[in-house]
Amino acid sequence: MLEVHLDSWLRGFGPRGHETIEADSVEHLLDALEGRYPRLRFKLRDESGALRRYVRVFVDGTDVSGTTGVGTPLTGARTIDILHSIAGG
Amino acid sequence: MAKDDRVRILVGTRKGAYVVEGDKRRSKWKVGPMVHEGSDVYHVAADPRHPGDLYAAVNSWFFGPTLWRSRNWGKAWKETGTPLTPLQKDRKPTTGEPNPGNPVARVLNNMWHIEPGLASEPNTLYVGADPHVIFRSKDLGTSWEPIDAINDHPAKKDWSPGAGGACLHTILVDPRDARRLYVGLSAVGTFRSDDGGASWKATNKGVETPFLPEKFPETGQCVHHVAMDSADPDTFYRQDHGGMYVSHDRMEKWTRIGKSLGDDFGFGVASPASAPGRAYFVRLDGMARVTGEGHFQVHEWNDKTRTWRKLLSPTAFPGNFGVQREGIATDNLDPAGIYVGTTTGQLFVSPNGGKRWTVVPFGFPAIHSVSVANPSV
Repeated sequence: MLEVHLDSWLRGFGPRGHETIEADSVEHLLDALEGRYPRLRFKLRDESGALRRYVRVFVDGTDVSGTTGVGTPLTGARTIDILHSIAGG
Repeated sequence: MAKDDRVRILVGTRKGAYVVEGDKRRSKWKVGPMVHEGSDVYHVAADPRHPGDLYAAVNSWFFGPTLWRSRNWGKAWKETGTPLTPLQKDRKPTTGEPNPGNPVARVLNNMWHIEPGLASEPNTLYVGADPHVIFRSKDLGTSWEPIDAINDHPAKKDWSPGAGGACLHTILVDPRDARRLYVGLSAVGTFRSDDGGASWKATNKGVETPFLPEKFPETGQCVHHVAMDSADPDTFYRQDHGGMYVSHDRMEKWTRIGKSLGDDFGFGVASPASAPGRAYFVRLDGMARVTGEGHFQVHEWNDKTRTWRKLLSPTAFPGNFGVQREGIATDNLDPAGIYVGTTTGQLFVSPNGGKRWTVVPFGFPAIHSVSVANPSV
C-alpha cells in the first residue's frame, strides 16, 4: 500500500489528509486517486495523460516528474508526494 | 434572480477576477472581492438571458483551464461541467494529428472567450480556447460539443499561434440568425459560418499581413479582436495586427480605416448598443504595445462620416498604458458607458460616450479583460 500526500492546494480538490492506495505505476495511482476524487481530474494531468507542467510527483522522495513521469513503476515504493513546483510572480 | 438596475463591470486579471458594481449614474463604483485568486482569468461574461449568471474562463498555471459559473452576480462561484473541466467524463485531445513543425499543442490550454447564444437559444453557450478550438453547449455548460469544422480544420496543421498562443478569442453570433457565426483566431484570421458551424469560410480579404511575405493571403492574419455593430449585424469593426478595419458585408471584404492615425496597431475594439456606427479603439504603439503618445487615449470611429475623434485630453491621464484584446467594453445604456482596463491595473470609465473619464480608485492586477453585465430591468 502506498501512502499518498497532496499539498494544501490539491487537498482543496481531494483528500484532506493522506490517502492509502494500491497501484503499480504513477499512472494507475493517479487513476485511482481521481476515481475517488473526481474534482482532481485534469488538475494533475492534461487530456493526453501527461503531468501538468508544474505538478511534481515524488516517489519515496525522488522527483520522477521530469524523467519517467506517469510511467514510473511503484513496485516496492511506500510514499508518494504530489506537490506543485515553485513558480509564479 | 431579481431584476437589478446596476451596471457591473466584470474584470478578469492576471491574478483573479472582480465584479465592480456601479450606481445608477455610473459615477461611483464598488469593487468586490477578488475571486479565482491566483489564476489568470482571461474573460468573464454575463449571460443577459439569465440575469445574475456570470461565467469565468479561469486559466491556472497549476490546474489548467476550468470554467466557472456564478448565479448571483459573482457572489459565489462553482466549477461547471464543460469539456474544459474535470466534470466531463471523456475529455480528449481536441485537434487533429500533431505537426512536429507547428508549436500548436493538441491539448486544451487557455480559454479565451465565453459567448452566450441568442435569446432564442436560451441555453446555448460558446467557448473559444487554445489550441484554435471552439465548443458549444446547449445546456448552459453542463455538457459541451466540439465544433469539429474548426477544431479539426484540414488546414490546421499550417495555422500558427500568436504571441498569446493559438487562441480562438472572438465569437460573434448574428442576432437575426443563430446559425450565422463568426470567429477570430490568432494568427489565422476570421471565419464565418452560415450553417451553425458545420462549415466555415475564411473572411480576411483586404486585411494585410505585414509580418508575412505574402501581404494579402487567404488566412494567416493576426486578428486581435472584432466587434459587431449594434444596429447593422453585417458591419464589423476589426482590430488586427495589421491595423484597424471595417467590413459592411458580413466580413466578405475589409477596408482599412486606421491609416490616417499613423500607427493603427492595438488589441481591443468595442461598439456600443446606443451608438450604431461608432466603434472605440485603443491605439497602441506597434513596437512597444502601449499607448505611444505618452497618455491614455481612446479613438472613436464614426462610420457614417468616416472620421476619427480622440476622446481624451492628452493631459488627462499621462503614461504609457497597455490594453489587451478583451480590455475595452461598452454597456447598453444611452449614453454609452465605455470601460477600459490596462495591463498596469487601471480601470478607466466613461459614463457618457467618452465625454468625461474617470479611473476606478482601485489598483487591479494586470487586466486581461473587461466586460459588462448590463442592468436587467
